[in-house]
Parts: sequence; structure tokens; C-alpha cells
Amino acid sequence: MSGAESQLVRHDIVAAGFRGSREPMLIVDADGRVVAASEGLAALLGLPVDALPGEICADWFLPAEALGGCALLGGCQGGLQRQLHLRNVHGDLVPVEVTCSSFQAEPLMPGGEGEADGPDARRHCYFHVQDARVRQHEDQVRAARLAKLPLLNQVSEALYGAHLTLDQILQAILICVTAGQGLRFNRAFLLLVDESGTRLRGEVAIGPSNAEEAARIWHDLADRPADLFEMMTSYDQSIKNTNAAVNAIVRRMTVPLEHDEHLLVRAMHERRVARVTSDLQWPGVDELRGWLGGGPFAVAPLTIRSGPVGVIVADNAISGQEIGDLDLEFLQMFANQSAAAIENSRLYRELEKRLVDLRRAHHQQKEDQQTLLRMERLSVMGETSAIVAHELRNPLVAIGGFARTLTRNLDESDPNHRFASIIADEVARMEEIIHDLLDFIRPRKMLRQETVLDALVVETAERFRAELEGSAIRLDVEAGCGEAALECHPGEIQQVLQNFLMNAMQAQAFGGQVTVRSTPVDGGLKVEVLDSGPGFAEADGKRLFSPFFSTKPTGSGLGLTICAQIIKAHGGVTGAANRPDGGATFWFILPLPRDAG
Amino acid sequence: MAKVLIVDDEPHLRLLYETELRRAGYETMTASNAAQGLEFVDTMRPDLVVLDIRMAGMDGIEALQRILERNNSIPVVLNTAFSSYRDNYLTWAADAYVTKSSDVTELLETVKNILDGRLAARS
Repeated sequence: MSGAESQLVRHDIVAAGFRGSREPMLIVDADGRVVAASEGLAALLGLPVDALPGEICADWFLPAEALGGCALLGGCQGGLQRQLHLRNVHGDLVPVEVTCSSFQAEPLMPGGEGEADGPDARRHCYFHVQDARVRQHEDQVRAARLAKLPLLNQVSEALYGAHLTLDQILQAILICVTAGQGLRFNRAFLLLVDESGTRLRGEVAIGPSNAEEAARIWHDLADRPADLFEMMTSYDQSIKNTNAAVNAIVRRMTVPLEHDEHLLVRAMHERRVARVTSDLQWPGVDELRGWLGGGPFAVAPLTIRSGPVGVIVADNAISGQEIGDLDLEFLQMFANQSAAAIENSRLYRELEKRLVDLRRAHHQQKEDQQTLLRMERLSVMGETSAIVAHELRNPLVAIGGFARTLTRNLDESDPNHRFASIIADEVARMEEIIHDLLDFIRPRKMLRQETVLDALVVETAERFRAELEGSAIRLDVEAGCGEAALECHPGEIQQVLQNFLMNAMQAQAFGGQVTVRSTPVDGGLKVEVLDSGPGFAEADGKRLFSPFFSTKPTGSGLGLTICAQIIKAHGGVTGAANRPDGGATFWFILPLPRDAG
Repeated sequence: MAKVLIVDDEPHLRLLYETELRRAGYETMTASNAAQGLEFVDTMRPDLVVLDIRMAGMDGIEALQRILERNNSIPVVLNTAFSSYRDNYLTWAADAYVTKSSDVTELLETVKNILDGRLAARS
């Protein structure tokens, strides 16, 4: 074989190689007859691939001359590219782009007729045919993407502006999903995870309810400029009255999140956009069809860093237009941006709320501080005036007292009698002023409060139990007054009872029994402390509550006196008695409020 | 004639009470502080003590306890400018509590009532 021959191509091998290719390709010989063709070409022509070899390829292309200048005239220099049409078996014209290149081929049959024809006869042509529709479609898609980018940009700027309330943002999202310059879905529904985090709940929806409405809205909007704000406001106005139907639908849309196979929940958790065709079977889809009316629809999750916040459901229920890949792609892009805007808005509101709280707290603190300062000043003033008033009292007593003495000593006809009496009167007035002032300044005594007596008795006895630690005294509490309550100063009553208990304990230093018993009596409640000690001498009985009387070697002798005074101040009575079978009883009775019977 | 001991650290008030009590027919003696008052309780055996509370040195409340410790049959009238002592239970052992006033009528009446009561009880 010569060097030139080594460059020859065995086109039978090539033919076998690209027969199965999906790319439309063919090889023709110098006569324009098909030597080899691919499946892809066969598909374009609508013919079986085996039927192609031997055919004249110029029959398929229009205009045929265009091809003739290349392969048929043997002048093909390769790299030629032509825009032609291809006529398929149905007679349809398919726009194609044809690229060709020529080469020398080894004769199919060695030593055959081709051998004698020389190099020109061995010239073959390779055609690559491209379906121009595919190319056009790709260009369209690219163009569509480019066209939407400014809008998406505007949307993102607008949504991030933080001047919109959450409701406005939701509205804007839906407008963009449906508006002519936006994603062009007919209807859009927005569902958010509710506050409890347990379900997806329909929030808001946009879309016409029938074809007439749709026609009117879309006509209204046809010539609007693509500026988002104008779009939002104009769209808002033209759909204001048409949303009733879709909003009635969206209010019914509720999906518990625990239903995790449900299409909406799943789309949200997997962060994937979904297209639901009329024949798809999936949990929850039938429910959605029930709400939406059965046509195809798209679902896009709204997800933020911390997790899913909701979904957008969109469909073309009015126009019936198919939901394309591009629509889906845009819906997802848009949903991502919307989710970010929703989060942004929520964070912003949260911040705003905290700011308001902080401001309020700050204001409150300032006020409190001022009040405190004022009170402090008042309190200092009060103390000062109390001291001054007191200091004035003694001199006034002397002045007024002697003026009265003088008045008495002087004869009424004496003019000095009148003057002395004036001094006495004026001093009396000053004393009155001071009295009122001190009365005002003096802090109020602790007020009596409604007290459940038994609670007080039990509490006091239990506290006293600690005192009995290590002693041989047994303490029993028999509280029998239930919930009966009376007006008293609990601390003082406690003091009385403690005193009685202490006496009972001291009366039986070597052990014994102490019982605290409360019982309702006529008009009041009685509390007794019974001990098992030696009791007291009958002669001492009357003096037990007198001041400074004490049978004990130590002690001020004021204890029981004070007890008696406290009980008396409460309108009650105290008493003591020896028990018939040994020991003593100390008791007091406190009156019940009259209206309580 | 009943003897009344006046314990007060204000000389002018002592003079006023002395004047008025004498006019009312009592024999009076005065002490300018609590310690002196206690001494007079022992030595002079008064029938009644008019006792100021706020005094330099020992105050009237302590004096009251000491008087009652020595002799709890002597009636004591607390006579003070401070009505707030009424709330102090240590003053409850006194027979009466009178708020100082340029009008000594209340003091005189209180003294009279107590002494008349004692007299009636004794007879």
C-alpha cells in the first residue's frame, strides 16, 4: 500500500460505526448516493435507517441546488455550512443546519469499478445535519432566562427592602408568580408552616376564578411596564375583586407536617420543586387535586437556613398551558428568593419588636428612677419635717401651757387675759398642724389581713416543733376550724401562740404532752394550748395576765400581758385554767367578722 | 394628799405640769432624768408617776420597766410628744398613755381617774 492509500477511509467501517448514532449524519459518494446514514437522520426523515443507503440525498434537502454545489460537483472543500430544509416522509419541512466535509474513500469492493475511476470517483462527502428547531428552542430558553433576570433582581431588591410587611411580601411573591412579566402561572397559592410548627396552612392566594376574569386581568396588564412596583400596584388593583375564589380554596388547604409522605411536606423537606401531572399518583396529590381542580400543578418549597417555612403551589388552571421545565426552574429560583425575603421580614419584625420593647423598658426604667429619686427626696423631706415638728412640740407645750395658766390666773376684764388666751389658741392651732403633719408622715401600721386561722396555727406549731428537738415533749396539733378566716395581724397572733407554747414547754421541763387545738365557738374561733404540767396556783390565776407578774424565776413578766393586749386589740379575749386531770390550758378567742356569721 | 412624781428633762414642762397638778390639788415632786426618777420612786414613795419617754440617758420605757420591777402597784402615766410609742408593746404595761399637749386637761383627768380609782379600790 502506498502512503496515499493509507489515508483512504474504509467507509464500510465508518458506516457501521455511526449507524446507531442519534446525531443525524450521512455519507454520500461522488454521485450523491447515500453510502451510510445514522439513526438520528432516519428519525428526522421518518424512515427506517436500513432504507437510506442507495438513496439520492438531494431528494431530501431543499433547495437541492444548495447541496449540489458541494458534494455533487465534487468541489467540496469541507467546512461548508448551510441553512436548509429537510423534507421528511410526511412532507413536512424541518429547518436544519448542514455541515459537510469531503474525504477520499477506499472502494467498497477492492478491484471493483471504483478502482478504475480514479481519485475523484473515490471522493465522498460527510454531512452533519442539525435540527435547527432544537437550536432555536435553546436560544429561546436562553433569551427567556435573560429576560427574567432583571425581574428576579428587582424582586430580590424589593423583598429585601424590609419596608414591606410580611403580608405585603406574601402578596408580592404571589403577584410575581402569576404576573405577565413574572412567571406567568395562572394561579398561585402560598402555604406557610404555622406558629405551632405542626402544620402547613394556606395563607394567601392569587388568581382569577374563570376565563373571563383572566382575560380581563391579562388584558389590563398586557401593556404595563415591567417595573415591579408598578406591576405590584396595578396587579393588586385589577385582581382585588377576583381573589375571593382562590382565597376560599387556600383557606381549606391544611396539611399536618407529621404526614411526611404528603407531596407538599415531602417537597418542603427535600427542598425540591415538583411538577404534578394529571396522572401522577402520590400521597396527598388527590387531596391537592380536590382543592385545585384536577389539572397539573407545580410545587416549590420555601426553605431558609433554619429549615422549611412553606410551599408555593402554582398552576395554569385557566389557560391549561403546560408547565414547562423553564417554568419550574424559575419557580424554584423565585421560591428561594421569596423564602429569604420571608425570613428577612420575620427577623426584621422581630428586631423591631425587640427594639420597641427595649425602648419601653428604657423609658420605664427612666421613669422608675425618677420616681425613686422623687420618693427619696420626699422621704428625706418627710423625715426632716418629722424631726422639726417633734422638736417644736415641747416648746409649744410650754408656751401654750403657760398661756393657759396665765389665762386662768388673769381676770377676764384684764386685757391680758384676752392676749394670753389668743396665745393659747394659736398654739393649739400649731399643735394641730403638727399633729396632722406627723400623722401624714408616719408610715401606716401594718394592716390587718384576712387570715385562715388554722393555717397560721399549724404553721406556728410546726415551727415550734423545732424548739422541742431533743426534749421529751410531744406536740399534737388538732386544727378544727377548717378554712375559717378572720381579720388579724398574723405576726401578732403568731407571737401570742408562740408565747403560750413556750410557757407550756417551760412548765414541764422533764417532758410531757402539749396540744394545740383550734375550735369554732359562738361568734369566733378559739385556740387553746394544753399542757400536762403542774398547772398554776389558783391564787395566781387572776394575775397571770397582769404586767410583770411571773411565777418563773426569770422572765420579764410581760409575756402574757402583751399576749392579752394583742388579743384585746383584736377584739378578742384571753384566759387560763387548770385542767381537771392535771396541767393547764391557756386560750384565746378571736371574733369572726360579723357578716361571716 | 396624793403625791405625783413628774419625770421630764424639759425644765419648762416640769414647771408647767407642777403648776397645773398643784393647782389641781396634788403634792408634786420633779425629777429631771430617769435615774433620778427611779431614786425618788424608792425614797419618796409617790402615788403616781408622770413619765416622759424621750429623755437623755435612760429613756422612759426602760424606766417604766424598772419602776414596775421595784413596785408594780405604782400607776405610771406615760406622757410623751410621740404618739408612735403607743404601738410599742413595752408601753402597754403603763396605766395610761397621754400625748403631750399645751392643753393639760387630758393629763389632769387621766391622773385624777387613776388616783380616784385606786382610792375607790382601797376603800
